[in-house]
Amino acid sequence: MADSIKKLVCIICPNSCELTVYLDEGEITKVKGNLCPKGVDYVREELYSPMRTVTSTVELKGGVLPLASVKTSKPIPKEKIMDVMDLLADVMVWAPVEVGQLIVENAGESGANIISTKKINKKRKH
Amino acid sequence: MSEVLDYLIVGGGVVGCNIARELSRFDLKTVLCEKECDVAMGTSGRNSGVAHAGFYMIPKTLKAELNVRGHQMLPALCEEIGAQYNVIGKLVVAEKDDEIPYLLKLKRQGEINGTQGLRLIDADEVSKIEPNIRALKALYSPTSAILDPFQLTIGLAENALINGARIELNTEVLEIKHHEDYFTVETNKGSYKTRNIINSAGLYADKISALAGVEGYRIYPCRGEYHVLDKGVGHLLNTLVYPVPPKDSGGLGVHLTPTVDGNIMLGPSADYINEPCDLANTPDVMNQLLDEARLMLPALKRKDFIRSFAGNRPKLIPTSSNETVDYVIKEEYEGFINLVGIESPGLTAAPAIAERVIGLIKKRDELIEKKSFNPKRDKPVRFSRLTDEQKARLIAAEPAYGQIVCRCETVTKKEVLDALHNPLGAKSINSIKIRSRASMGRCQGGFCWPKIVQLIEDELKPELKDIRLCGAGSNMFIGKTKDLRRIK
Amino acid sequence: MKRREIDLAVIGGGPAGMAAALAAREKNIKDILLIERNHRLGGILKQCIHDGFGIELFNETLTGPEYAQRYVEKIHDKRIEYLTDTMVLSLSPDKKIIGASPDGLLDIRAKAVILAMGCRERTRGNIAIPGSRPAGVYTAGCAQNFINLKNYMVGKDVVILGSGDIGLIMARRLTLEGARVHAVVEVLPYSSGLPRNIRQCLTDYDIPLYLNHTVTGVCGLKRVESVRIAEVDDRWRPKPETTKEIKCDTLLLSVGLIPENELSNAGGIKINPDTGGPIVDENLQTSISGVYACGNVLHVHDIVDWVSMEASKAGVKAAEYLTGIKTSECNIKIKAGCGIRYVMPDMISGTRETDLFLRVSAPGRNKKITLKDKKKILSSVPKVRVNPAEMIKLSLNGLDLSGVNELEVQLEDG
Repeated sequence: MADSIKKLVCIICPNSCELTVYLDEGEITKVKGNLCPKGVDYVREELYSPMRTVTSTVELKGGVLPLASVKTSKPIPKEKIMDVMDLLADVMVWAPVEVGQLIVENAGESGANIISTKKINKKRKH
Repeated sequence: MSEVLDYLIVGGGVVGCNIARELSRFDLKTVLCEKECDVAMGTSGRNSGVAHAGFYMIPKTLKAELNVRGHQMLPALCEEIGAQYNVIGKLVVAEKDDEIPYLLKLKRQGEINGTQGLRLIDADEVSKIEPNIRALKALYSPTSAILDPFQLTIGLAENALINGARIELNTEVLEIKHHEDYFTVETNKGSYKTRNIINSAGLYADKISALAGVEGYRIYPCRGEYHVLDKGVGHLLNTLVYPVPPKDSGGLGVHLTPTVDGNIMLGPSADYINEPCDLANTPDVMNQLLDEARLMLPALKRKDFIRSFAGNRPKLIPTSSNETVDYVIKEEYEGFINLVGIESPGLTAAPAIAERVIGLIKKRDELIEKKSFNPKRDKPVRFSRLTDEQKARLIAAEPAYGQIVCRCETVTKKEVLDALHNPLGAKSINSIKIRSRASMGRCQGGFCWPKIVQLIEDELKPELKDIRLCGAGSNMFIGKTKDLRRIK
Repeated sequence: MKRREIDLAVIGGGPAGMAAALAAREKNIKDILLIERNHRLGGILKQCIHDGFGIELFNETLTGPEYAQRYVEKIHDKRIEYLTDTMVLSLSPDKKIIGASPDGLLDIRAKAVILAMGCRERTRGNIAIPGSRPAGVYTAGCAQNFINLKNYMVGKDVVILGSGDIGLIMARRLTLEGARVHAVVEVLPYSSGLPRNIRQCLTDYDIPLYLNHTVTGVCGLKRVESVRIAEVDDRWRPKPETTKEIKCDTLLLSVGLIPENELSNAGGIKINPDTGGPIVDENLQTSISGVYACGNVLHVHDIVDWVSMEASKAGVKAAEYLTGIKTSECNIKIKAGCGIRYVMPDMISGTRETDLFLRVSAPGRNKKITLKDKKKILSSVPKVRVNPAEMIKLSLNGLDLSGVNELEVQLEDG
């Protein structure tokens, strides 16, 4: 593969730096347009092993809301996203839940846990 | 099925509901069948909401007679059945000299028809009445009024109901069989036997007529599109402001109409279309209405337009022309009363039409008045219209009045619950809207739909498919959040 | 009616209101009442379950509920009194507030007021989308509420009009839950969302973005059956020959946000037509003395962290007002010049350090933002890249503004 140039927008922070990546046979030789060093790390990760934090909900029983919002405890490989989503479709938890509470361990072999992102109280019985 | 009804009314518009209510004064078995999920879903709920004073109608026509009579009857009727009715007056404005003869013609016409108080006024007086409107001269009609067409129709239906008539929603008449002294009426919800049928099916009156064996009528739907303006600009207008209509427009021209709830409506256009159910807004007309609105009220901004809608007029002639075809109100043969071509001023004329139909019936049948008839239907509470002291008292008595569901229209939980548990049993989000005004404001449901759906869920425990915007098929949701993943 | 006297009333318990109340408490204002119309504090963040919040303020990426929870806990820790299910019905120029709650109608007399009511979504009616009016047309935020809080899926085959951030976030959210997003349609030649959201929400899932396109029709009598989209010319007029029909059951609208100022309007507070929010000075004080505004009710932000920071300032300034600290007269008018959509604040004193917050009218590269006093250039800040989606903060520190009456902000080629 000859030298090539790839354009990427850094998504690490809202600055959204527009990066130009110079590649030589798939190897990154230079990154331009980044305001901070995180941009280079981002390019490396995005090109070789893109990772994403997944946020979603799981069904909640006995709570003041019918759903608990959750996220992966750390970014997971992009190709695992849909596996995690399929898994979450069948997860059910009981209120109360706290922010950061463990919901699923090592979800879909992704290496990340699913944790709650919202404090939800039990529904009071009348 | 052995029961034989006295009257089966087809169509739950303002005319059908008014007739049902008038029949409920008498000792009769009456059923009203409405194919939609609620009353006032057709032309009755899709118009300018104006009580016309009667000067537009050609003298000596049924339209003129019933218009003026209806206009006389409406204030008392609205009071009785709890619909807002505000006399605000109307200006028909001439911008050029050559439009003045038209104003004179309207004035003459009105005087023959019996319209009260018509005056030709000059530019100065126009600007006193309506500071934001420019005109050379105007015809001023002080008795023209606005009303809430939904509340009027709903109120009539509810009043008919408590007086013993049955209002069957989601019930479409599919077939009518004429036997010697009764009819069998097949609907999607089963069949009825009835001695008499009253066809007040509006846009579908030709089809119902044909089902009853009376061919030869044809309704030509003529669409009128409207824009609704935010209440925030409602102060720009005090009266109804109508132009001199362009020749052969088939309508009264694009006009500005204040509503009883403080909005301004702008419209309607007039375009013949093929299907009576086609209520789409079209780009050209929407733009044209926007331009005309800004000509009349330059201060308007895009965000001031909160909704567009359309209504169809049931016309008896196929082209735009100022030729008048009169209402058909007659007993075609014994037991089948036909009301065809009831277009504008149908809302105003409705009580007079009902009166006329009762008159037709009384010619051949003796009707026995019920002692138990209660003409009154309580006006629903409108929290937003109350004084602070009244609000405080209501909340103290019922805390649900203290919880605002619809922020734009200040509609409380109690009002939404009352609307949800309405006597007619209409359960859609639109039914709640037309009763309580929740979601009728500037956010158009963006904020209050989730709250309204929650109340529907808590109160009715419906199946998913029964949470609907309006009638069957208008489902709000396809499932629970995770259902698509689970199906997979 | 229940009457109360209060030092500071904060209207709105979202991120802006909570931060404002906390900042005022930090400045030792004891008598604060935070008024929230919904059942819980947190505002719209409760339904924004995606992450990306908090990077500026907390140096970590949080989801909306997590971000909100941090403030809710502080509100509890600092024992700030708040009312939920309480809707302010009116605000008068003498700072009398009438509010409705199930506990009764409240008559609150405040010495200072902070407006933090947020914004609402532009609707179909605002942008006049032709066609029928079946079920299945939702604003993006409304759909987000149903999906994330109420456990209802709004549709299966979706078209989204508008590439604002909420639209992009919802495109991903719907895709994750198994719906198919057939198109995101944007009338402008560029997305009005943040670039990172284009990447994470559209590119990641191969969702096509149609720039220079709009929805020209909604079809379906009961539920949406299809929408028509078409390319637009440079005056946003659809080109009929480019029309194509997309079968779908749902149309989401993400076509802009409007600061929700009906209360302010009725209270006699002057509004800036460019922001849709109150006219404010550098202290975030509105045209009524002692009434402050912050967050999306003032101008629509793209990042909640900036909302919180702005709100903290409003809280501090309201506290200064209450403790009788005199602020400098703000007599220098700020004008949004060529290439600038708006600048906040509208008036500054020129005597103290302050920042301007502004948005450009169109995206561009290699630009500079200049500050002018009549024709005289006072400063010029180069910008490699400008985007209307991203608010720009411009510091006026160190600038000599003596004798200046009007400061014009312009975008120029760099």
